[in-house]
Amino acid sequence: MKILIIEDEARIAKRIERMTRDFFDKEVQILLSDSVENGLNTIEKQSIDLLLLDLNLNGEDGFEVLQTVVAKSFQTIIISAYTDKAILAFHYGVLDFVPKPFDANRLAQAFTRFTTPEKTNGQDIQFLAVKKGKTIKLITIKDIRYIKGAGIYTELHLANGHVELHDKSMESLEKLLPAEFERIHKSYILCWQEADKLIVETGGKYNILLKNGELLPVGRSKYKEIRPKLI
Amino acid sequence: MRTALGAFEMHFCIRYLFYLYIMHKSSIFIVLLLLLFSSCKQYTEFIKSDVTYYVDDDKPQNFLGQSTDSIFKVIIDVELLKRENISSPLGIQVTGFGAFDVYWDGVFVGRNGKMVKSGQAEIPGTEMTYYQIPEKLANLGKHTVTVIGTQVYLRESQRGMKVKLESFLRLHRAPLVVMSFMNLMAGAFLIASIYYFFLYINSTRKEATVLLFGIICLLFFCLLIVEYVKFYIDIPYTHFYTRLQIVGLLTFIISILVPWYFMLQFDFKRKQLFLFLLIASLITIYIVYYGEYDRTAIYFSYAMCIVSFIVAIDAAFRKIKGGLIVVIGLLVSVIVNKYIFYDFGLFIAFTIIVLLMLYLHTIRAKALEEAHNASLLLSSRLQLELVKKNIQPHFLRNTLTSLIDWIEESPQQGVVFIRALADEFDIMNSIAEDTLIPIQQEIELCRKHLEVMSFRKEVCYNWEEKNIDANEEIPPAVIHTIIENGITHSLPPKQGCITFSLSFNREKQYKQYTLFTIAKNRNRKRENSNGTGFKYIKARLNENYGSNWEFDSFAVEEGWCTTIKIFAKK
Repeated sequence: MKILIIEDEARIAKRIERMTRDFFDKEVQILLSDSVENGLNTIEKQSIDLLLLDLNLNGEDGFEVLQTVVAKSFQTIIISAYTDKAILAFHYGVLDFVPKPFDANRLAQAFTRFTTPEKTNGQDIQFLAVKKGKTIKLITIKDIRYIKGAGIYTELHLANGHVELHDKSMESLEKLLPAEFERIHKSYILCWQEADKLIVETGGKYNILLKNGELLPVGRSKYKEIRPKLI
Repeated sequence: MRTALGAFEMHFCIRYLFYLYIMHKSSIFIVLLLLLFSSCKQYTEFIKSDVTYYVDDDKPQNFLGQSTDSIFKVIIDVELLKRENISSPLGIQVTGFGAFDVYWDGVFVGRNGKMVKSGQAEIPGTEMTYYQIPEKLANLGKHTVTVIGTQVYLRESQRGMKVKLESFLRLHRAPLVVMSFMNLMAGAFLIASIYYFFLYINSTRKEATVLLFGIICLLFFCLLIVEYVKFYIDIPYTHFYTRLQIVGLLTFIISILVPWYFMLQFDFKRKQLFLFLLIASLITIYIVYYGEYDRTAIYFSYAMCIVSFIVAIDAAFRKIKGGLIVVIGLLVSVIVNKYIFYDFGLFIAFTIIVLLMLYLHTIRAKALEEAHNASLLLSSRLQLELVKKNIQPHFLRNTLTSLIDWIEESPQQGVVFIRALADEFDIMNSIAEDTLIPIQQEIELCRKHLEVMSFRKEVCYNWEEKNIDANEEIPPAVIHTIIENGITHSLPPKQGCITFSLSFNREKQYKQYTLFTIAKNRNRKRENSNGTGFKYIKARLNENYGSNWEFDSFAVEEGWCTTIKIFAKK
């Protein structure tokens, strides 16, 4: 596993590195970067799994960087002094916001959120950032009807019929999305407001009919969880 | 007991009025003048005559004899048609030059000055005199007024002799009524002028408009006094024109000053050209209508009005506050002058104009007050900015995070770190409310900050100073801010230290601080020479030195160079 730490204060960077190493044991490869520029270069060159980002680096606003990085496939945890920016950060879809000063426990809590496969509810995400050519486009969560896995990417199917590609995996997105999004199939995450009714077909196939008439398959293992919610 | 209380109440009332007057000077002034305008109606009713008569005006012309001491005799026929108030005695008003005796139907009724007699020089009479007619001779019908006298001086003026019949009481009362209003107005202008002179003397700004307004008020006061001085001083007819000349001169000056005031107040672009045109036209009027005093004064005021109009309309178009109001006010004064008040319309018009100026002045005063408040606000905002430097989350939380780490890893070093932080806080606290602090204190602050930052960044920071004059002062946290920027924008060296070197040098015209940051610069995405840090520095320099400073910040080969130049006051 590769973890990138972007932090301009040497002492704090070392502290994060030490605590990260302690949490993940030896299996982790940690990269350090003391500026936005170096950090973004690293991201371009190497594929990482987790980014630990400080929001204010050498007087530059980290939110620009944040918009860029949340569109990528890896998860992001913010470690910042600007606690008032926490809500905004969650809107953009970060996994956690660790306020400075922090201790090992708080950081471990954030890492746990990263490592556990289960969805951690109560997320405040409002946008998903997707890359469009060289620019970043923010998709409002409310506009998403359902999400379909497509290899290493995911397809965001929007209310207006458009489809956007996102770099994050189904698993990563599932962790970020709010409670009304439910994994109904290994390749589908559905927004509950869009579901109309459950249709059982012959041969033990289950489908969900959406309000716009589309049919989405329901995984056999998920059927038991889903049935009570739709009735 | 009661009287004592009464006295106290009176005292209190007067005091209250006085405070009211002081605090709302302009509004009281306006109310006073409005009252005055409304009273003028009563005046016109009052001057309506009691006596109806017919007088043959054409007769007495060129009655003066050949030589200077020859006695003239003017006979004017009048016919008394109606007397409304018999109880009040009949009076006669005679206007004319010379020293003469007045006869009514051959009966001597009065004397004005003393005629030339053999060996005795003439004692000149005054231009306007009133005489009482004996009641038994004041019956309706035809009468003869005979004026016998001499006119040694001003023979060329050919003023003629005029009579007017009126109740004797009214003849005396009418000037009193006019005077009461005019003195009231004059008093108001006198107070205003004194007030504005004091304001000018005691203000640090020394605004030309304040002085100008004071002068205009004073001149206006003089004009009113001189114009009506004839009612209480017997001016010998030989000096009749002196008064008119003074009035003309005052009108001339006022006619220049009023438009000039508007030009200054509205920041008019072509001041010189229009002032020149105005003065030229005033002089032309003076030459063309030489000797016609009333007409000259009226034309002067027309010229003044036209130029003021141009200035005000220009201001209204440029949407300057008060411009439109002045245009309206000028229009009103023209209308008043033309249609409503025939007698002293000129003075009413002037008064309206002065009121407009007063109004503009209050606008100006308000703007100044707002500017002053804004500067106070800026000062306190800068104070806040300074205090915030050390409690803003980026500084405080990062420092605390590093501090926790130091304490966990190396408690002894952690204590040193805490000491340095406490010292920096102490200095910040002690300078927070000052606008200038000794340079040594600033340097101490910088050193402590570098110590704190070296713990945080684990970079070695060096401080050097050259030629620092311990007696010099500098706005608080200015160098500190430059150092903060230096730390942020410098790459940590692989080996060695980042050096900050502050030097001071003094030239004849200015003194200069130069701070070198000797380190490799980070690549900056944007050239933000107007970042919050620099804004703070510039605002502080502005606060202390006005515009007499220069701030520069630029990359040099060794790293970064920042200079602050403070000029000797211009």
